[in-house]
Amino acid sequence: MKLVWKLLRQHISPFQLIGFILANLIGMVVILLGVQFYSDIQAIYNGEDSFMKDDYVIINKKTSMMSSLLGGANGFTDNEMNDLRRQSFIEDVGMFTPSEYEVSASFHMRGITKFSTEMFFESVPDKFIDVKSDKWRYNEGDTRIPIILPQNYLDLYNFGFAQSKNLPKISESLLGILTLRISITGNGRNDVYDGKIVGFSSRINTILVPESFMLWANGEYSSNAKVTPARLILQVNNPTDEKLTTYLSEHNYMTDTEKLDASKTTFMLRVIIGIVLAIGAVICLLSFFILTLSIYLLVQKNSEKIQNLLLLGYTVAKVSLPYQMLAMGLNLTVLFFAFAILFIVRNLYLEIFTSFFPNFVPSSIVPALLTCSVLFILSSVMNFMVIKQKVSRLLI
Amino acid sequence: MEYIRFENVIPNVFAHRNDIFSDIWLKDVEFVKGQKYLIEANSGTGKSSLGSFLFGYRNDYTGTITFDNLDIHSFSKKKWCDLRRKQIAFLWQELRLFPELTALENVAIKNNITRAQKKKTILEWFDMLGIGDKTESLVGKMSYGQQQRVALIRALCQPFDFIFVDEPVSHLDESNSDLMGVLLASEVERQGAGVIVTSIGKRMQMNYDKIFRL
Repeated sequence: MKLVWKLLRQHISPFQLIGFILANLIGMVVILLGVQFYSDIQAIYNGEDSFMKDDYVIINKKTSMMSSLLGGANGFTDNEMNDLRRQSFIEDVGMFTPSEYEVSASFHMRGITKFSTEMFFESVPDKFIDVKSDKWRYNEGDTRIPIILPQNYLDLYNFGFAQSKNLPKISESLLGILTLRISITGNGRNDVYDGKIVGFSSRINTILVPESFMLWANGEYSSNAKVTPARLILQVNNPTDEKLTTYLSEHNYMTDTEKLDASKTTFMLRVIIGIVLAIGAVICLLSFFILTLSIYLLVQKNSEKIQNLLLLGYTVAKVSLPYQMLAMGLNLTVLFFAFAILFIVRNLYLEIFTSFFPNFVPSSIVPALLTCSVLFILSSVMNFMVIKQKVSRLLI
Repeated sequence: MEYIRFENVIPNVFAHRNDIFSDIWLKDVEFVKGQKYLIEANSGTGKSSLGSFLFGYRNDYTGTITFDNLDIHSFSKKKWCDLRRKQIAFLWQELRLFPELTALENVAIKNNITRAQKKKTILEWFDMLGIGDKTESLVGKMSYGQQQRVALIRALCQPFDFIFVDEPVSHLDESNSDLMGVLLASEVERQGAGVIVTSIGKRMQMNYDKIFRL
């Protein structure tokens, strides 16, 4: 092989090859940085404990002045819910069932009413609830109703009211031992239950009772026909998915959070990264053509030698091998430098990320590794084929 | 390979001519392994074309050329590579040596893929042909006669059933030409091969079994 290389290395132009290396390096760095930057940014959006992470979104229909005045239906119809369920970005849909009866709650201490209020209940299917408690169940006939309150009620009291009035803070467990007197009126009946607070939900901003209780109580204390739910809870793959935002705005649905704003940012980011990747790909493609043309020229200039080798009995594969190795060596060189540059630049931007988001855990280097492996294999395979084909054409 | 057969073969460039009087073109001719043939030709009668067809370098002819009843038109590139390494040897009129390699390297580049001859044998052949002191010389710096001898040694560095030598001694004096004839004949004898020699005047001395006019 040494002798063959001695022959075939004639006419190699270092300038052309350096040109290829530089061009390909630029393209490769742009692509790798784009991919890696995107995946690092995604880590901010989708990190396990990220502030933007939430797999549940609560939606309702927009309440307009007209619908308020005219009393138009604000509930979701079965068709609308089925359509939601069909969307690929929505995993599950849960209904909020409101209480169809009057509820009042009071708190007694030593037989004296300390506090009394009218209130309401809502329920959602259990799997949408973020509080796990073995007390969260209701069987028909029980006089005890477990209740889940929104976390921000407690926060409001502890950090707002109690703070300003110098009152003691209340813990979740303390509230757990208190019993509320729940009085339910409807359908000509009035019954009293014991309400037990079993937890606080930071996901669902309402007073929750188990769905089993709600369905039973609505049947028991209300003569109304089934009402359509006014709010829905959606379990979504990715709340930053712009398809979700688009869908919701197209259907005039509103969410109670600004979580979905992240989707706009991600969308813009995707567009920008997409453009960057496209530019990188074009540069890489052009550099690939430079290399292909250089090799074509090289094969052409050495065509007589290659023909003579083939006439000596060398196979096309054997004659192509030195040029294939050359192309692979160049690709590897580019890969090495591209990675070195990626490493340096990534360290720079990760420093900035970490200063903004102290809890930020960067994503692994795997996306860049995968991308460059794919690009390396792709370009090497194409180089191999192009060279073999070109060499093979030198003889009939 | 036992036979090379030409059936009604004519190079495309002669196809429209009707003044072809040849023992080979447009005839049925057979070359048999173990026999020695001389093809005498004038310039421009298609001698080099004949060699190129036999070596799979060109296929611009009509008619049929078969190796042991197999039409060589159907051979793949890979098949030709195998044939050139194992069954047919060739000494080109234009030699096709690599001027940037030394004489010995030019032979080694062939012997490396066939592993047919020992280095000792090759060096003996260089001595025998009177170019023993030229092994390390660049071929580009050697005379044409010396190059012809290097090319013959290279052609012999492989197993073969037939060897085609195209004007091998055109630039050699009689004694050197005879030495080449002896070397060629001994290797052909050893391998039991067939030999086809061409000449446009000066012929290599051998006991030819048949002489054709092209």
